[in-house]
Amino acid sequence: MQEPEPALIRAAAAGDLGAFERLVRTYQEPVWRFLRRLLGDAGVAEDVAQETFLRVFRRLPTFTFEAKFSTWVFQIARNAGVDELRSRRRRIRLASLAPPPTPAVGMPETRAEIDAALASLPVDLREAVLLIEVLGLRYHEVARVLGVPEGTVKSRVFSARSRLHRWSTADEERASGEV
Amino acid sequence: MRCDDARVAISLRLDGELPAGVDVHAVDEHAGACAECAGFQRHAERVRASLRFEAVVAVPDLAPAVLAHLGPAATPAPPAAADGHGLRPSAPRPRRPLAVAAALAAIAGMAAGVAFVGLGPEPRSPAAADLPDRVLAAQTGIESLDADFQLVQGDVAGHRRAHRLEGRLVYDAPESLALTLRDRGSREAELQLVVNGERWWQSTVRACSPPPDRTGCPDAARHWVRSVRGREPFSESSPVPLELINPVDGFTLAASTPAGLGTRTIAGRRAVGVAVTAAQMGPFLDGLSVGAHLRAVHPGDPVELWLDDEHLVPLEVTVRAAGDPGRARWASGQGSTDRAGDAVLRFTVTSVAINRPVPNDAFATPARMDPDETLDAGFRTEAGAGGPVPLDLPAGFRPYRSGTITGTGGPTIAVDSWTDGRAWLAVRSTRDWPGGRLFGGLGAGVRTVDLGDAGVAYVSDDGKKVALHGDGLDVVVSGSVAPEELRAAAAGLAVTGLRVPRSWDESATTTLAEATGAVPGLLVAPRLDGFGPPAVRLADGMVIQEYAGAGDRGFTLVQSDAAHLTPPANGDVVGVEVRGTAGRYSPERGQLEWVEGGTTHGLSSHTLTLAELLGLAASLEPA
Repeated sequence: MQEPEPALIRAAAAGDLGAFERLVRTYQEPVWRFLRRLLGDAGVAEDVAQETFLRVFRRLPTFTFEAKFSTWVFQIARNAGVDELRSRRRRIRLASLAPPPTPAVGMPETRAEIDAALASLPVDLREAVLLIEVLGLRYHEVARVLGVPEGTVKSRVFSARSRLHRWSTADEERASGEV
Repeated sequence: MRCDDARVAISLRLDGELPAGVDVHAVDEHAGACAECAGFQRHAERVRASLRFEAVVAVPDLAPAVLAHLGPAATPAPPAAADGHGLRPSAPRPRRPLAVAAALAAIAGMAAGVAFVGLGPEPRSPAAADLPDRVLAAQTGIESLDADFQLVQGDVAGHRRAHRLEGRLVYDAPESLALTLRDRGSREAELQLVVNGERWWQSTVRACSPPPDRTGCPDAARHWVRSVRGREPFSESSPVPLELINPVDGFTLAASTPAGLGTRTIAGRRAVGVAVTAAQMGPFLDGLSVGAHLRAVHPGDPVELWLDDEHLVPLEVTVRAAGDPGRARWASGQGSTDRAGDAVLRFTVTSVAINRPVPNDAFATPARMDPDETLDAGFRTEAGAGGPVPLDLPAGFRPYRSGTITGTGGPTIAVDSWTDGRAWLAVRSTRDWPGGRLFGGLGAGVRTVDLGDAGVAYVSDDGKKVALHGDGLDVVVSGSVAPEELRAAAAGLAVTGLRVPRSWDESATTTLAEATGAVPGLLVAPRLDGFGPPAVRLADGMVIQEYAGAGDRGFTLVQSDAAHLTPPANGDVVGVEVRGTAGRYSPERGQLEWVEGGTTHGLSSHTLTLAELLGLAASLEPA
C-alpha cells in the first residue's frame, strides 16, 4: 500500500474534508477487512471502522510523520476493535454465556470455519496473526501497532498458527471419526 | 531438527522474517520427512491464502457516513489527482537505476573467466572432462528406460548387517515413471510408485511415527496407499525421481573438470566413472529415498559415480564414508560406526534397456490396491486455460497438457505445457496471488534479470524457474530446457515484469553492482567453477550472497557492517586462520567467520567441508 503524500495528510489535519475523504477511501478496505476478521461480524466491523476514521480525524493533528501513516491508522483501528471486544465481553457477561464456537465439519477452510477458528484464539494472538495475514504487515510494524517488542510478535504469530493448525487437525479428526 | 524448531522457522519464513543464518535446507528436509510439520506449513499457507486474498466482497464505503459525522463544514477539496484513486504515489523509496547491464557483465565475466583452481581435483581421465555438458545434453536423448537395480545400505562389504534391496525403474518420456523396491528375496514391495499423467499413486511401508492416534495409521508397519488425481503437468509435488534416469541437477552448475575414474563395463554397457560428493548427488539420493528409508550419508562423503557412456544414465553409485574429523563427529552424532573409506551405500544397475518400447502395463495400478488416502491436487484439463503463452518455443515443442488448478485453498492457477516428447516447458500463472513472496516457489535466493521490454524477471538460484510479477498477473516459467530458453520464453509472454512490492520477501534482492555501491569493501567470489552467479540481498546493512552449485552444493557469504564478531552461539567453535587473519569455525553451523577491513564476514555451508570453505575464503576478492 502506497503511503499518502505528506501534503495530503497535512491538508486533512488542517480540516480539509476532501483530503480526509481520500484518506478514508484509501484505508477503508484494509481497515474493514481487518476488523471483520478480528470481530467476526461484517456489520459490527463497519461500525467500528467508522469509529476508527472518526478517531483518525480527531488525532490527525497529532500525527508526527515519524511512523508510517498506514501503521498509525492500523494502530487506531486495532485499538477501536479491542475496545469493541471489551464492551462486547461485558454485554455477553450480562446476557447468557455464548457457547464456545465449535469447528465446522466438512469443507476445510471455508470462511465460516476460518472465522470460527480465529474466534477460538485469544485476542492477543488473533490480532497479531491478522495484522500479518490480512494487512501483510512486517513484524516490526506489528510490534509498533501493538506496542510490544518484536520478539513478542514473533511468538504470538507462531502460537496463533499452531493453535489454528491444531484446530483444523481436530476438525479432521472429528470428520474422520464420524465416517 | 526438532519439530518445534522447524515450525518456528516455517512460520518465520512465511512472513519473510527468517534470520539469515537459519538453514533453509534443513527446514525443508525436515518438512519433507515429517508429515505433521508439512501439514503445519500447508495449513499456514492455506490460512494466508484465504485471509490475505479473499473473493472481493462488497466492502462498505464508509466515507459518506464518516463525513456526515464530521458535519458540513468542509473546506474545498484540492484538485483531483491524476489517477482514479485520487492519491498520487508519495515520496517513493529512492531507487537507483538497476545497473542490470553492469551486473550481467560482471556475471558473464565470472562465468567466462579463468577456471577456479584450489577447489576440486584435477581431471584424471579425459573421458570425464566434458561429462557435465554431456549429462545435460543427454536428457533430451532418453525416450524410455527399463532398468533393474540393487541397493545395498550399511556395510556394503558384508562384514556386518546390511540392508539389501532390489528394484525396478521404468520411465517413458516425458513424465511417466514407475519405481518398485523390495527386500531381496521378498515378494512384497517396500515401495511402489507410479506417476502417469494426471494420476499418481504410491504404496509405502509406513511405520507409525509420529504417534498413531494423530495420524490414523495402525500400530504395526504396513502398506499405506496414497492415490492422487488432478496432478498438474510436470508437477513438483509428486515424486518423479528423474535424477535416477539422468542426474541433471547433479551436473547443472557442476565444476567443469570432474575427476575421472576411467571406464569399465556395467550391466553389459560401457560406463564412464567420475568422483563427486554426496552433496552433488543429493537430488539422486533423494530420488532413491522416495519411500525407501535410506540411511543418512554425510554431504562431504565421496561418491564414485558410473554413467552409461552413451546415454549418461547412472549405472553404479557408491557412497563412501569420508575421512575428515568433521565427518567422524557427524557419524558419532548419528550413532553410526562408519570407518573412513567404508562403502555405506551402493546402487548398481543389473540390467537396462534404453529407448526400447516399455511394457503396456508398466504404469498400471494393481486392481486390488485400495487406497488409504485419496487426494485431489486440483488440476483439470481444459483447452485454452487462459494463461499467457510464449511467443516462441524451443524447436520441435508442441502443446502438451493444459488446464486449471482450483479448489486447493490457494489461488486459481492456469497451466500450459509443451514438450518435444522428452524435454518440457511449462507456464503457470494466476491473477489471485496473495503476495508476500513471488509466485512459483522459487526459494529464498533469487536473482533479478532484465528482460528488456518484458521488464524485470526473477530467476531461481539454479536457473530453472523464471518468475514475472506483472500488473495483476503473476507468472512462473519452468522446464527442463536451458535457462536461456526459459528466459526467452518468459520474455515472450507479453507480460511486463515489475519489481516486487516492498513488503515481499524478494524485495531485498539486488545485484552485485548495486550491493558493491552500497557497502564499501564488499568481498565477492569471482571466477568460480562449480557454482552459479550469486543471489544477492541487501538488508539492514548486510549483504547476503547465495551461491548454488551442483546438486545440493552451495554456500552463503554474509558481510555485515559490524566491526566485531558476536560471542559464539555454539560451543563447538574452533579457531582457524582465514585469509591470514584469526577467524573461527562452527562445525555444527558450517560457518566460518572473520573480521576484515572493519567489517564482519561469514561464509557458511552445510554441504562444503572446512577445507573447501577455507579455499573459497582465500579466493575472495574485493568487488
